[in-house]
Amino acid sequence: KSAVLDLTNHVDKKVRVKFAGGREVEGRLKGFDTLVNLVLDESVEYIRDAEDPYKLTEETRPLGLIVCRGTSVTLVCPSDGMAEIANPFGEAAADGI
Amino acid sequence: NMGGTLLPLELIDRCVGSRIWIILKGDKEFVGTLRGFDDYVNMVLEEVTEYEVNPEGGYRVTKLDQILLNGNNVCMLVPGGDGPVAEVEEE
Repeated sequence: KSAVLDLTNHVDKKVRVKFAGGREVEGRLKGFDTLVNLVLDESVEYIRDAEDPYKLTEETRPLGLIVCRGTSVTLVCPSDGMAEIANPFGEAAADGI
Repeated sequence: NMGGTLLPLELIDRCVGSRIWIILKGDKEFVGTLRGFDDYVNMVLEEVTEYEVNPEGGYRVTKLDQILLNGNNVCMLVPGGDGPVAEVEEE
């Protein structure tokens, strides 16, 4: 089965990984398989706000060398390839769509 | 073609017999000795501590002996990990 995205190009680079359920980590991609299980090194998890689980805090916790389960992964992208932007749906929608 | 990259399931296999920290999709985590796993990454763990994270601090429940952990909700695995050790209340 061929992959949609070739992760070979991202090996040894810093990537951001998002999971079903809201968890987010960032780490250096060291390995992967066809099912999108990942190996990340020097990884940190971004901690979510206790009141609003959809909002990230500035806090992180170090995890180190981890395996990410492909069945839970929703997004993989290079760390320097994403940035938070203003809500494109305007001020009124900012409290929740 | 995956070149010389590290295979995730190989890394888990190398961890058999050692301590491992399992982080689920929700606010639950486990630390135990990995005895084995299957194709779905269901796992047999021994001498397990279950951590249920709550906003104020860590809430800890201790289980002994063996558990079969359903791989359905597994998010991350940390070989040799200690778990969320800071700020736990002993149960």
